[in-house]
Amino acid sequence: MSEQLIITLSREFGSAGHEIAEKIAKDLGVKFYDRSMLDEIAGQMDVNIEVLEKYDEKPRNRILSRRVGKYSNSMEEILAETQFDFIREKAESGESFVIVGRCSETVLQDVKGMISIFVNGDRECKVKRVMEKYDLSREDAFKKMERHDFKRKRYHNRHSEHKWGDSRFYDICINSSPLGVSGTVKVLENYIQERRTACQK
Amino acid sequence: MIAAQILAVTIFIVMFVLIVLDKIERHYVTLGCGFLTIAGVFGIIMRDTHAILETLNLHSIFTLGFWYASGSEGESTAGINWATIIFIAGMMIMVEGMAKAGFFRWLCMLLAKLVNYKPVPLFVAFMVMSAGLAMFIDSITVILFLVAVTIELAKLLKFNPIPMILSEIFCANLGGSATMCGDPPNIIIGTSLGYSFGDFITNTGVMAGISLILVVFYFLLVFHKDLKTKDGERVDISKMPTPREAILDKREFAISSVIFACAVILLVTHEYTGLTVAFIGTSIAIVTLLTSWKYAVELLKKVDYKTLLFFIGLFMVVGGLEQTNILEMIAGFIGKVSGDNLYIMVAIILWISAVASALVDNIPFAATMVPVIKSLSAAQGVDLSVLTWALSMGTDIGGSATPIGASANVVGTSVAAKNGYVIGWGKYCKAAVPATLIVITVSMLFIFARYC
Repeated sequence: MSEQLIITLSREFGSAGHEIAEKIAKDLGVKFYDRSMLDEIAGQMDVNIEVLEKYDEKPRNRILSRRVGKYSNSMEEILAETQFDFIREKAESGESFVIVGRCSETVLQDVKGMISIFVNGDRECKVKRVMEKYDLSREDAFKKMERHDFKRKRYHNRHSEHKWGDSRFYDICINSSPLGVSGTVKVLENYIQERRTACQK
Repeated sequence: MIAAQILAVTIFIVMFVLIVLDKIERHYVTLGCGFLTIAGVFGIIMRDTHAILETLNLHSIFTLGFWYASGSEGESTAGINWATIIFIAGMMIMVEGMAKAGFFRWLCMLLAKLVNYKPVPLFVAFMVMSAGLAMFIDSITVILFLVAVTIELAKLLKFNPIPMILSEIFCANLGGSATMCGDPPNIIIGTSLGYSFGDFITNTGVMAGISLILVVFYFLLVFHKDLKTKDGERVDISKMPTPREAILDKREFAISSVIFACAVILLVTHEYTGLTVAFIGTSIAIVTLLTSWKYAVELLKKVDYKTLLFFIGLFMVVGGLEQTNILEMIAGFIGKVSGDNLYIMVAIILWISAVASALVDNIPFAATMVPVIKSLSAAQGVDLSVLTWALSMGTDIGGSATPIGASANVVGTSVAAKNGYVIGWGKYCKAAVPATLIVITVSMLFIFARYC
């Protein structure tokens, strides 16, 4: 791939956004970054990945942490900032990749040609998917979904001036429920192709 | 007056909540609340121009007493404490100059070399250095450099740096409590109530000194097992970084060392020379800028203006509580609860200050409590200095108990975490709470024995 391609994908919990992003990365033959970036970060920091995992994509605890100038002692914020640096470095290195979450559309907003996607879904479809994936009752699946979306929203809005899921701040927002994973992937890949063609002109 | 009181208290509570929530930068919070106090409480409700002028306190800068005081007269407690702000700004410029020259890293490496890079002596030496430096320099700077060097040495010497970081943070707060210029609460208390460097060092300084000895033993007892190098590995100390390597610019290093020495001398002798902390802060800033004229703009840009603005706003909000007599009411309440018993009064101020400072920023707390103890002293006929030392030790040391209690704790734990050494609340409090209890108890017994 000659030109750098960066796709950021934010998603609602249960919308299959992660699976969609992974498929797009595979089809386009580019690297895929999700939680797995913690492996590299943990290696750089010389720390066990389990230590970092519990703070990944989580909002800080407002009562138990404080910020003094640029120093915060919230591990959630420290990890978020480390991940943002990691994402920026990858983008600056010229690498092409698809990245899920982590405020990447805000972190990389100045990168030319970056394509930002937001995937949502119908509530019923999302609940059903969460029930199947995690083997949960309907009520538990719904609670899990609400909890994760609340945390993602707080995490995103803490680090971005834009609101999580606000269509004005993404290139494309898509409901994955009507078309399913493969249909949504197809639409998005068409969009990506069109965008690249438009850029080349 | 009741409407003004309600609004002043509401603004104060909103300010505190917003600082804790940290959604808006804290200097915007205090400045916004400060302007609301001026406009709403003094302007619209009280229609009192005098209260506005008293709170802005600009006239104080143009008086001789602000720069040169023949006795130990203090600034007015009302309104913005410009002496504190000017002094902190001056120290910030001097410290930036020292950091740029490599002074702090040099000092850390020198000490490490002197103790032959052995973890246990290094542990003790860094605790003592942390306390010693924090007596004159803000604890954030001390911790920033000390923690960075500790992590560097720990990686080379292969030991766990977390015990050292925790003890350095604690000792930085303890050292700060020993002098008038060591910790922001002490600068506020000293300049507002007219206490000198000598007053602090002979009172809080003695308490901090006794406490430091006990705390060093306590941390050694708690952490001695963690200070062993991994698998008893031998480390080649000839490969350690030398102090000389830390000096980035020899000329700047020499100049900044001389300026620092002069600042220490001026502060130690200010009660005899009559030079106020505002004068000392201004002079060291000017001398630093003149001698480092090449980097003057860079040094000025590095000044933490946000903290200075935070202080200005904070003093305005506290001024609102003061002018509406809220703080007098709090003082009256403490007087009533203690039933004129000085022991109880000291215990209340010391422990409430300690607990509050452990949970919220100790700077707003100290700024609020200064007029309270002044009123309490006047109303109950109690020696103000006794209450002052209780407040000083309570706010300075109480802040050590939790990771959010004082700025040095936040910076230290943040730098550690960025380097992969995560210090959670559990780990932090397990080490710091007993140490805090030791120091607060020692302080209380000392005050009881010496003054009550």
